Amino acid sequence: MSSALPPGHRRTHPLTPLVTGWRIVVGAVAVLTAQNLAALVGDFTVRRLLIGLGVLGAAVVIGVVVSALSWWATSYGVDADGVVRRSGLLSRTRQFAPRARIESVSLERPLLARLLGLAKVRIEVAGGGESYLDIAYVRSAEAEDLRRRILEVAAGTVPGAGPATVDGPAPGAGASADGGPAGATGAAGAETSGTAAARAPGTPVDPGAAPAIGAAATSSPGAPDPADRPAGEGDLAARARAILHDGVTDGELIAEIPTERLVRSLLRDSSFLLGLAASVIGLGVTIALAIWQEGLSIAILVPLLPAVIAVPRYVFGRIESGWGFVSRVSDSGLRMRRGLANTRADTIAPGRIQRLELRRPLLWRAPRWTAVTVTVAGIDEDEDGGARSVLPVGTPDELASTIGHLAPPLGTGDDLAALERLLTAPARELPGLRAPHPLQWYARRTVVTVLLPGAVVRRSGLLARRVQIVPRDRVQELSVGDGPLARRLGSLDLSVAVAGHTVELDALPRADALVLHAALALDAATARRYTKRDGWPVPPLAAAAPAASGASRTGEGR
Amino acid sequence: MTSSPDEPTAPHEPTAPGEPTAPVEHSTPHGTAAGHEPAPTIRDGRLLGVDGLRPVSPSLVPARYLAAIPGYVIALALAVGAVVLAAITSWWWIAAVAVVPLAVIVQSLLLTPRRVRAIGYLDGEQELVIARGVMFRTVSTVPYGRVQSVTIGEGPIERRYGLATLELTTGASDEAPSLPGLPRDEAERLRGLLAERGVDRMAAL
Repeated sequence: MSSALPPGHRRTHPLTPLVTGWRIVVGAVAVLTAQNLAALVGDFTVRRLLIGLGVLGAAVVIGVVVSALSWWATSYGVDADGVVRRSGLLSRTRQFAPRARIESVSLERPLLARLLGLAKVRIEVAGGGESYLDIAYVRSAEAEDLRRRILEVAAGTVPGAGPATVDGPAPGAGASADGGPAGATGAAGAETSGTAAARAPGTPVDPGAAPAIGAAATSSPGAPDPADRPAGEGDLAARARAILHDGVTDGELIAEIPTERLVRSLLRDSSFLLGLAASVIGLGVTIALAIWQEGLSIAILVPLLPAVIAVPRYVFGRIESGWGFVSRVSDSGLRMRRGLANTRADTIAPGRIQRLELRRPLLWRAPRWTAVTVTVAGIDEDEDGGARSVLPVGTPDELASTIGHLAPPLGTGDDLAALERLLTAPARELPGLRAPHPLQWYARRTVVTVLLPGAVVRRSGLLARRVQIVPRDRVQELSVGDGPLARRLGSLDLSVAVAGHTVELDALPRADALVLHAALALDAATARRYTKRDGWPVPPLAAAAPAASGASRTGEGR
Repeated sequence: MTSSPDEPTAPHEPTAPGEPTAPVEHSTPHGTAAGHEPAPTIRDGRLLGVDGLRPVSPSLVPARYLAAIPGYVIALALAVGAVVLAAITSWWWIAAVAVVPLAVIVQSLLLTPRRVRAIGYLDGEQELVIARGVMFRTVSTVPYGRVQSVTIGEGPIERRYGLATLELTTGASDEAPSLPGLPRDEAERLRGLLAERGVDRMAAL
């Protein structure tokens, strides 16, 4: 069976065809019924039902057989150069994720896979569009191991990892390399362990998991990480907890979002509520009109079905993208877990972040909640609830530690205070560039561009405030746009492109825009070369005492 | 992916303390101490541009006219069709519709030379600057170290005039600007330069 496989290669779990085949069947049924549902309901007979069921059964068998064949032909291997995936029965393809281009590794568990104890490992590779490599599906524990191994393989380029991990032994002896904490947090290792110990009694973190990072830092062999242990011998509670939290149980806790706060945050998000209300009312009116015009029949409702499904899907998507959100510091970056039906756990390394965005809707101002999303090269933007969101709704302390562990230094004396000021102060009071002409009164009041020593920051939005942060050494290309209207108003548009996103800094005063362009062009050309991959700018909080922020966070209600 | 070993490695040191600094004071995190020439500054003249912007080949004008002929034919057909329709029906105002395709043709005939003259590029010390557009003008700056790939495209019409189009790709999602109307040798020279300097100054994402 395995003789056909190249050395070092493995197949995915044998139940994979069931999980993937199921999708094909559901897809086929959905396409068939969506088009003919009205007709099917109209002339319903037992015989037709039987025929339908027969066809369905055949589809299931065909789907599973096709999936089984493709499962048979698919194998994956992890070696020192990267990850290889071979697939295809007739035309064989060989996908390769080179070590240096691996951006992040995430685990996803769709509902069915979750019930079967399987998980999908997604390896995000730098590049636009669909630049990822999926290993689907493997056993959950195996997926966790795989994630660690791949991250270790990539560790030569992953910022958090010290140089020791580069030539560290790859698979089995993961514990040593894994424990070698993070160049970034290493300096603060003692404090981290202190934090973990201090926090353990107060928080629901189980005792086995909490000291993991501390244990690694002080290299005390007493407390092994439950995820490192073989599945059988760990105590049941820790294991259940590890499964419940998808292995995101070790490392310093950054944010944990209680369901109550998530729901309240949605109820306070005016754009969400307005969108929801508008779509519900619109849908209601459409259905009422249709019934009034044509009389009640299912045939009318069928075309509206996608819209009817879309609304709860959107709501559910918003809830799911923040449900059970936990983020912790790991040796390879920020490790996050979220999801209700489909859970996913992913890791974002601070060195891979191209752009950050902070958002605070109107009604979040009183509790001072903030949502943080990031742009990472290779991770698709439109993926909702994907790796982009690193904090769905966070308290100021959670924001501080998330930003502190992810954002590059902004170069101000106190970055967190500066950010808080950028979020809270009225735009008119912020020092920075704003639209030059009185006719642009709205932009003048709401939009400010600030150049900090480490980043360009764009604050915008009247009700929902938005702060975009582009680190200056990430700028890929710049362009200045001019037009007849801009010439009249004395403004210029500057667009700043980073990998995966283009930030438009429009309506800047002409002279200032050109000065800003010159400064950024110099950064784009030179800055990045001085920050080697091993020496990424260390996020301020990762090096600063995490004990302080941790201690201040223990009192917070969750 | 990493910088070449002889490059000076300046540690990333945040300097200026306090509140958000005034934006125009451009203190780069690394300064200009490394002996690199500063980027060519864009002047705000009649047209935005940098000093020493080089024009593209003038034979891009006939090339563009030639390439536009099918468009002219279609536009003319539309105009004639509108007039004919106005003549056979009694709705005279349909003839007014013919103004639109005619205007398209006229502006294309009149403005193409100016548009071609407005295209310019500069292979600076650090980056390639590409400027284009008369009314809506864009000046793009692409540092050599950020260029991921370079493509030279030659369509049949371009080949007839000995021209080529240089297309750049960077890590940014949007396609970097292309530079049309380069003489073939010049396109080859730029490609070589981009490849060479790109390797020298390759910067990671």
